[in-house]
Amino acid sequence: MSESGSDLDATEHTALMDGHIAEARPDRELAERIARKRKTKSDNQRSYGSVEQIEGGPSGASIAQQPRVPAAPVEPQIEELELKYGARHVIKLFVPVTLCMLVVVATISSINFYSVKDVYLAYTPFHEESPYASTKVWNALANSMILLCVIALMTVLLIVLYKKKCYKTIHGWLILSSLILLFLFSYLYIEEALIAYNIPMDYITLGFVLWNFGVMGMIVIHWKGPLRLQQAYLIFIAALMALVFIKYLPEWTTWAVLAVISIWDLVAVLTPKGPLRILVETAQERNEPIFPALIYSSTVMYCMAAASPAPGAAGERELRPLQPHGTVEGEGRDGTEAGGGEAGFDAAWRERRDEGAAPRRLRVDSAPPRYVTRLDPPHAPPHAPDLDEEKGVKLGLGDFIFYSVLVGKASSYGDWNTTLACFVAILIGLCLTLLLLAILKKALPALPISITFGLIFYFATRSVVKPFADALAAEQVFI
Amino acid sequence: MDLSKLPNDMKLQLCKSYFKVGCLFLPFVWAVNVCWFFRDAFIKPAYDEQKLIKKFVIMSAIGAFVWAVILVTWITVYQTNRVSWGATGDALSFIVPLGRA
Repeated sequence: MSESGSDLDATEHTALMDGHIAEARPDRELAERIARKRKTKSDNQRSYGSVEQIEGGPSGASIAQQPRVPAAPVEPQIEELELKYGARHVIKLFVPVTLCMLVVVATISSINFYSVKDVYLAYTPFHEESPYASTKVWNALANSMILLCVIALMTVLLIVLYKKKCYKTIHGWLILSSLILLFLFSYLYIEEALIAYNIPMDYITLGFVLWNFGVMGMIVIHWKGPLRLQQAYLIFIAALMALVFIKYLPEWTTWAVLAVISIWDLVAVLTPKGPLRILVETAQERNEPIFPALIYSSTVMYCMAAASPAPGAAGERELRPLQPHGTVEGEGRDGTEAGGGEAGFDAAWRERRDEGAAPRRLRVDSAPPRYVTRLDPPHAPPHAPDLDEEKGVKLGLGDFIFYSVLVGKASSYGDWNTTLACFVAILIGLCLTLLLLAILKKALPALPISITFGLIFYFATRSVVKPFADALAAEQVFI
Repeated sequence: MDLSKLPNDMKLQLCKSYFKVGCLFLPFVWAVNVCWFFRDAFIKPAYDEQKLIKKFVIMSAIGAFVWAVILVTWITVYQTNRVSWGATGDALSFIVPLGRA
């Protein structure tokens, strides 16, 4: 028992999210396994164990039900445990999300560069320069639809590549994008930060620092490194990407994009034929981690096991987020150089989109891996020893990016009330999503609730609360 | 990566490869190596590979320290002498601070 259990665990880590696959298995076997697992886990006093199991049951209602039969008395306890476990992880996610937003808000409010509009992405051909509101509206909508199409296209491309097992291509793509993000975008960021703070700097020191920073990032993201450092790099990358979006998207397009993206997220994750869902299912079938680099995990992310097929995947994920940044910057910089810049953009955008889609979901990983293991018994054993545990809630880097875009955009108008309102709204949305996660036990899109709340709070605060507060202040009325 | 789940021989390999990578003018990697393996090298009860890990950690620490000294020295020299170096100083400058009113 214990042996099989450990094997399962190991595989679990590899596999990601929801166990759609689970449905494929014979229910009988599943039920038995789960029942056994529960027992072992409780014996081991693994607090997360309960969560894993349940989550494993995830998409398949059948699975969840099956275990109940054998372990009926344990149910309420398990649910309680789950909730507690969930709550702990909510808090764990709050910290990185807050940090990411803090970086973005701090940058926006201290470095002018990111709130000045001069150059735009090639994907947004309409620049909203007309004085008429209606023109601006259709400009913004057209821009966001173009972006959406690019994202969808990129996602499909990625899935095709993944389905055809072109790991080398995907890997190369991801590494390239992370290179661009870690070196080029960081370079731009440092330049603007130094200018803003008026700090003298020479090329030798700059080169040395950038080289160290970038290479360490590549090692940590695509190979092995301390978890904290990896998380820090992922947060920084997400913040950088968010800054790029804020800088290079026209005013109203940013808001339209936020809305459109959260709808896309909903569709891509929840529809039976949604691209992201297909991606997840394929990865599970192959018993591989899905783009670990694109996902922030509240605990250990990935592992040595990568040696076999997994490593590429991890790299990919990370890269995707990075690429988008890279592209954007290229565009901004080149501005007129449409050709090269655009090509770069496309790739970046796609990646970003892909990334966004994949990462956006919240997942509980542990359960699905088991399913995977069962499906591919031969593969599982070799992987198991090397793999680190993947437990806890995962949040896609894309979610980080778009949360930060919203808060950063709100702060770029210089009103702290609005910024705080958006911040709180997003965290509440995240809580609700996590609550739903505990109830539904399957991969969920993290953007829709948070972004909806964020948008409502932003416009409400800006058009209602702020004038009200101003009037109160002017009249010296204190509530 | 979770170090505690790694077998000792893998730890040694990892520590060694970090040290080797650090030789490419990457003191930051050395510094990370020191922080990451400090516990395994000095605090954990003795095991076979510990001696070698300790060696790599100490070498990394020395290397990172030396680089830090070099960098600080260079920055001090550059900042104090930029003007007197004339054209060379200007060519080396990435950001020249603006004066304040």
